[in-house]
Amino acid sequence: MEPPQTSPRQTLLGLEEMELNFGPQHPSTHGVLRLKLRVDGERIVDCYPIIGYLHRGTEKLFELHPFFQNVPHTDRMDYVAAATNNLAYVGAVEKLCGLVVPPRARYIRTLLSELQRISSHLLWLATHAIDIGAMTPFFYTFRERELILDLFEQYCGARLTLNCMRPGGQPYDLPAGWVELCREFVEDFPSKVDEYEGLLTENRIWKKRTVGVGVLSAETALEYGVTGPMLRGSGVAWDLRKAEPYDAYPEVEFDIAVRHNGDTYDRYLVRMDEMRQAARIITQCLDQLPEGPIMAKRPRVLKAPKASEAYYAIEGPKGEIGFYIVGDGTPNPHRCRVRPPSFMNLQVLPEMVRGDLVSDLVAVIGTTDIVLGEVDR
Amino acid sequence: MPGLLEALRDAVGPALFYGAVSPVLKIAVLLFLGVLPLISYLTLAERKILGFLQVRTGPNRVGPWGLLQPIADVLKLLVKEDVIPNQAVRWAFVLGPCLVVAPAFIILGVIPFGPPSGSEGAPSLFIADVNVALLFVIATATIGVYGLIIGGWASNSKFSLLGGLRSAAQMISYEVPQGLALVGPLLLAGSMSLVDIVEVQRDGRLWFFVPQFVAFFIYMVAGVAESNRNPFDLPEAESELVAGYHTEYSGMRFALFFLGEYANMIVVSAVAVTLFLGGWLPPFPSVEALSFLHLSFLPAGLAGLLWFSAKLSVFLFVYIWFRGTFPRYRFDQLMDLGWKWLIPLALANILLTGLLKLLT
Amino acid sequence: MKKFLDRIMLLDLFAGLGITFKAIFKKKVTVQYPEERKEPAHRFRGMFRLDEERCIKCTLCARDCPIDIIYIDWHQELNPETNKKEKVLDRFDIDVQRCMFCGLCEEACPTEPKSIWLTSKTYELATYERWQNLYVDMDELQDWQVRPEYTDEEIA
Repeated sequence: MEPPQTSPRQTLLGLEEMELNFGPQHPSTHGVLRLKLRVDGERIVDCYPIIGYLHRGTEKLFELHPFFQNVPHTDRMDYVAAATNNLAYVGAVEKLCGLVVPPRARYIRTLLSELQRISSHLLWLATHAIDIGAMTPFFYTFRERELILDLFEQYCGARLTLNCMRPGGQPYDLPAGWVELCREFVEDFPSKVDEYEGLLTENRIWKKRTVGVGVLSAETALEYGVTGPMLRGSGVAWDLRKAEPYDAYPEVEFDIAVRHNGDTYDRYLVRMDEMRQAARIITQCLDQLPEGPIMAKRPRVLKAPKASEAYYAIEGPKGEIGFYIVGDGTPNPHRCRVRPPSFMNLQVLPEMVRGDLVSDLVAVIGTTDIVLGEVDR
Repeated sequence: MPGLLEALRDAVGPALFYGAVSPVLKIAVLLFLGVLPLISYLTLAERKILGFLQVRTGPNRVGPWGLLQPIADVLKLLVKEDVIPNQAVRWAFVLGPCLVVAPAFIILGVIPFGPPSGSEGAPSLFIADVNVALLFVIATATIGVYGLIIGGWASNSKFSLLGGLRSAAQMISYEVPQGLALVGPLLLAGSMSLVDIVEVQRDGRLWFFVPQFVAFFIYMVAGVAESNRNPFDLPEAESELVAGYHTEYSGMRFALFFLGEYANMIVVSAVAVTLFLGGWLPPFPSVEALSFLHLSFLPAGLAGLLWFSAKLSVFLFVYIWFRGTFPRYRFDQLMDLGWKWLIPLALANILLTGLLKLLT
Repeated sequence: MKKFLDRIMLLDLFAGLGITFKAIFKKKVTVQYPEERKEPAHRFRGMFRLDEERCIKCTLCARDCPIDIIYIDWHQELNPETNKKEKVLDRFDIDVQRCMFCGLCEEACPTEPKSIWLTSKTYELATYERWQNLYVDMDELQDWQVRPEYTDEEIA
């Protein structure tokens, strides 16, 4: 779908506005995002995102196979944060079919989600910093991310496309020695976050590039349905882990990170805080891990009741990720609709960027933290 | 070796020898044994040091510790296809890179790498002692901007033109604080000849870095901006929209732009070392207790060359260190910094230095 | 006052420089592949392996594959020694181009120990020609040079 074709308007001094294509292949669009920009010199007058370059028909693929076979497909939507995608999907299936997950499985799911949150935010920091020009946080954050991916590999066998949850519980238990390794990682982690903050948070160049750039007011954010760190950076303290708790979150203590200015710098601070809070949650989960079974009692062939529907949402690293599943009595879902947080957050990009310079566009795309696999599915 | 040189001098006559043959020999030695290997190994040093800053090893496959990497890079760039866009202006396209590289090498002709020779036989370690060397340095550095503008314009591409103009604007706006910062040491030394400035630093017992540290700081920042390096490297940043003036260049021409940037780095560092850090002098040059630092057991001039190289290396390391640490300034913030902060600061420095010199 | 001094003396920039300088002396994270190699974890889902003797030809793995890339053909045959009808495997192909190594086939296999499993720790599957390794058939699946048993050992 193309934007309305109007001829470029005349601006002051009789100059024309230029239409630029911030193309699908570009080092800083984090995937295949195409932006049609209208620029007046260096100022952006308007911005029109065009998506769909990564569409793979995931929602149709969901309808072709039974519930538990669809879990690998969910890994590949937001490929950076696979565990939270898995969790949203299996949670929706459990809500639909009325399965009750045992406590140990719920704790393991929380552990995996929080580790995934840290990993996703580390990747976000790496790419955001390198877009703004600082090359070294990329390498430091990936050093930590390797440790997290190793933990995942020891648990479920894969580093990125995890396939680590099933409807009803977990497929495998934690291997022996995993808890100690995880604890070692989490104890070391806050000092590493201090290292990244020392490089960036007080740095005057970083502040000049991010303070006041891409301001999103709370009203606009709520109107567009933005969730996650983008909403919390604008002052609205809405976190699904506190508002509608699921899994083991009612039993652990943590704070919601909120800032009030709604610019890029605040969202950066929110995500750094979230990483620290995630480390805190993991420590508590490791201490409180109960014993017991890891898979619920479920029928051999999992069928949804006829004409049933369920919506289940969790707080992923990028925002609220939800699955709406319609069941029709067969083992396959009738329709499975995803509520992708990056898609909703991307809608607000033109609002944030209007009037800023082209160099700020790169910073703003970075702070929106979109993953095109989720936007396009 | 000295016998050969003396025979040559007797053959052509002293005037011609000291006027023409000796400088040509020195230029040849400087270029082929000094600067060109230094520039190519600076690329390797940058990659290795950036790697170490980023907890990884740099290139280490090609030769031990990657020492043959620059040779591999140069060979690759030499055999690449030489593309000139169809609509480009041919003569300007070819001229662009040369105008960037040549001024850097020309300035190296007046920089003193070592002390002037006391005796007739030993050569002095600089090519020419021009009595307006400082002015010559500033003027020649400005020619480098022409290369960028011509290169960006000749590519006949919207993005190249914009990138070239942005880069040229940045370089011109930082020429002014650079020049003004150099007036500080000029006032203290009372002469524009670079050799004299170093001599004054020896007689005055202190490198100019101490009384003129504001000018030193301004010169460093302006120097980083002049060579388009991080944190002022917006024109070459790939993650910004405009790809820069050297988009359309490939093969050896691109290599020339690239090497020109490194040559610029070396020249800026060399001028800073000469003016602020005492050139070939060891620290505290007139203090008797530290006279062993003069390294008099080495042949005359070699000690000075070693000190000069050590200081130059420190500067180059600092350049690379900046690249590995800082994010990038946005273009308007960059221009703000140059015009609104560095120029008033440089002017204040000149005023202060002049007043102090007048009163003492 | 301190903030003013901070701005003038550029202390924030020096803090950043200090962090990167200290990083020079830390241990490097580079793994010199191919001389060194990171050993995958015990549960790593690498290339799969089939054991034909253990396989009972139930085709549950083929049914459970999310992308339907396992092709199994079998027929009934009279075994002359035991005089019973037995299933014989004709064809067991896995389309390697499309396999995503999700492990659902391994989970579905009902034999103990499993007849198809993914814990081969092999991830270097690249070939120089396009037509090599497109389909991995029965014989290749069994001769794959991997660890032969499937046990639930501890890590580390």
